[in-house]
Amino acid sequence: MSKNGLTISLNEVLFYFTRAGFGVNASIGVSEDFARSNIWIAQNGFDPSECSLLALDNLDSQTSSLSIQFEKTGDGSHLFCPEDKVLSAIEASVSCVDWLEFNGLDGDLKLTNVDSPLLVVSALGANQCTGIQVSWTDKSNNHYEVNLKDDIEWEIISSSEAPIELSNYADIHISAFDVNNKTSISNGKLKTLNIAEERLKTLNNGVNVGDKWPEIYEYFSRCLVKSSAESRASGAGAGLVDTD
Amino acid sequence: MSSETVLIENESDFMRSPETVMRLDRMGSSFPTRLSFMRTLIRRMSRENWKFERTRREVDKDGYGLSVYSVTTPNRTYSLVGFTQEIPADMRTDRVIAEVWDATFNLFDGVPTQEDIDYLAQNTPKQEGGRYRPSELALARANKSLRVFKNAVDSLSKGQQPDLDLLTSVGYLMRTSAVYGSGKFGCADRAKIADREECKAPFQIELLTVYLIRWFTIDSVEELAKEKGGKKAVKFDQTTRQFIGVGNATGLGMAPFLLKHPALIHNWVVAKETALARVRSIETPIVGTLEVFLKSLLQVSQHVDEWNVADEVQSARISRLTDEIQALRMWCENESNIYRPYPWNGIYQYVEDNFSLECQEMIVSLIIEPHGTLVDDLADTMSSTVIPKFQADMTLSHLKEVVADAYKWATTIDFSLEESQHHFWYYSEDKLEPRFGSKGVDDGVDQEMPLAIGRDVHDLNEVLQGIDDDMSIGEFAMMHPQFRHIIRRVQNTFERPYSEVQDNLLSESMRPLDLLRFKLAFFGASKFDPKSDLWTRISMYQGAPMPDQLSEPNHDCWSFPIAGKPQSYPCINCTCRKTV
Repeated sequence: MSKNGLTISLNEVLFYFTRAGFGVNASIGVSEDFARSNIWIAQNGFDPSECSLLALDNLDSQTSSLSIQFEKTGDGSHLFCPEDKVLSAIEASVSCVDWLEFNGLDGDLKLTNVDSPLLVVSALGANQCTGIQVSWTDKSNNHYEVNLKDDIEWEIISSSEAPIELSNYADIHISAFDVNNKTSISNGKLKTLNIAEERLKTLNNGVNVGDKWPEIYEYFSRCLVKSSAESRASGAGAGLVDTD
Repeated sequence: MSSETVLIENESDFMRSPETVMRLDRMGSSFPTRLSFMRTLIRRMSRENWKFERTRREVDKDGYGLSVYSVTTPNRTYSLVGFTQEIPADMRTDRVIAEVWDATFNLFDGVPTQEDIDYLAQNTPKQEGGRYRPSELALARANKSLRVFKNAVDSLSKGQQPDLDLLTSVGYLMRTSAVYGSGKFGCADRAKIADREECKAPFQIELLTVYLIRWFTIDSVEELAKEKGGKKAVKFDQTTRQFIGVGNATGLGMAPFLLKHPALIHNWVVAKETALARVRSIETPIVGTLEVFLKSLLQVSQHVDEWNVADEVQSARISRLTDEIQALRMWCENESNIYRPYPWNGIYQYVEDNFSLECQEMIVSLIIEPHGTLVDDLADTMSSTVIPKFQADMTLSHLKEVVADAYKWATTIDFSLEESQHHFWYYSEDKLEPRFGSKGVDDGVDQEMPLAIGRDVHDLNEVLQGIDDDMSIGEFAMMHPQFRHIIRRVQNTFERPYSEVQDNLLSESMRPLDLLRFKLAFFGASKFDPKSDLWTRISMYQGAPMPDQLSEPNHDCWSFPIAGKPQSYPCINCTCRKTV
């Protein structure tokens, strides 16, 4: 399975990404949500390994952290990493969804220094959070606005051609989507995605994963246990030769 | 709560509770019912007049090569693409780690082109080592039961029927050792087909694959006999043909599925328990149903007589079951016991009070059986696409209440005892084979699968005791991310109380076999033949109509079949109504 240029199913996205998250010491519950976010990314035509590998690498190298705190601010709320590290998008995404579910969007929500912003968007999408806008400027100074308008369409407005799945290290702002003021990016590139159509395409064609897939698989492999002669003989019950 | 969640008929006093039903010992005594998924599929095939055709058979004189069998439903065609090859006897194993198989299959969505066949020829024989596309709905393989297969080919080639005793003792010509669907190895995701009418019930595509494999095995033997015997050769007689099932070797892979799909399992169990409750609540029996039940007791006695296994535990259970069915028949001979108000409840209560779990669950199946008009609608409620969601807006006090109410079985286990945490589940690097390890003996505790439901709820409960009710669940999960998965599970159980196995799955005495049998019974499998606590052989579709029999009026009369004879009592669910 650890090959380049594969087409995988959504069920395989769930299987491999859950365990990849667990492989970098995210809890199993957070890893399950991480995998669901990756399914949403894949359903919308993106390679999930592209936007998730950085988040996995950062956790593995302890460049990022799963520690998170929130505070109320004058114009809304703020989620941030209390340590002197990048906030892992793997944790930021679930906490953001929880926060919105519990509090609603009462003022803006800000997430500071998140490594993979599209993972936060995808968690919101996977949990049917609609009527909101997610915006950020990444470390390359590319500006993105994502409008999760409703359960039919969402749109990406970007200041450059740089792929959104590779956008990284940003402060993220989440606010209510204003249909009369869709974007603050002048001359931005607009991409509109129909959720049902993209999903149908994925179901009929599979999910293409590119050259970062072997590294995702490597993290997944950490959940596998080495086989010994004893476990091979007894761990699954059935015999090594079965005839009748 | 999702509309896909089966609502419990709370008004029924006859509904068995989750605490009664979702225990391993009872789950491990399950039998198929008329709501089992094979039964549902056969009824649909008949009702919709599905057309079956062998479209390609390009094999050598030994039967090795390519075969394609197609089935056309009202809306589309599916094709079983099969490849057969010669393999060394010592490489024939039921394990996931096998490398070669006598026959390998895909169920193709539509009619495959030559290009598709060429692609599959390069992949299907490799099974897990190949890659599949969304056009492939299922992947499967099967090995011969050498002694039955050879006897059948030899006998038919000489113009004789095979040795019925031998055939009865095994029950099938070939045995599948895996049937994969739902996106495995690149195959189509369940979501691709979930909206199709014929796929809405659970596992219909996988079980269609198995049904076609059964036909393939019978057809292959008859063709090989013709090749060998020429004009002398005969086909199986109709009754023998119908009796032949297809085997399956089921191991640990099924157990994690049950635990990872709590919403689905809830729907399965509620449907079955609702069916039982509806029957038990009948005050005056539907005309003819009691008579059918009494005659089915006789047939099931013969069925159990033919259920011979080497496993000592199961053998003793079968022996006791035989005695108990006999005792029940005698009890039923006293008309005052059954010809009274609420007769089905009376029968059920008598069996529950006096007999083993194996007998209780057998009788559940038998009393549901004559009530197709009353319960068959429940088959439409047994699927689910619900994904349990973490509900950050639930209050912590509510969570504590649910743990206290629904997880007493877990919070009262003493996990400080070694025997309470003896086992763990893991994936081996050997073809990702699921394995069951023992702590202190096997490596891999750190990589255990998250299936320790009881222990994790127990630990959650301990921590919750020290937390103020004012804290939100979202805040609690931020502080204790290790409990996120189990909180989600507890929240699901609040909405779907039949979703949880209420026993410690790590216990030294735990038998994964119980989980396997529970799931296999819902599929419709019979003749459970445990080979250890970790795997079992079974028969599928034994007694089911062949494709050319689906239009016959008795197509639904095949529960608890016996060798060499069709159902021996008048059917009440279809129009056959004839005693043979």
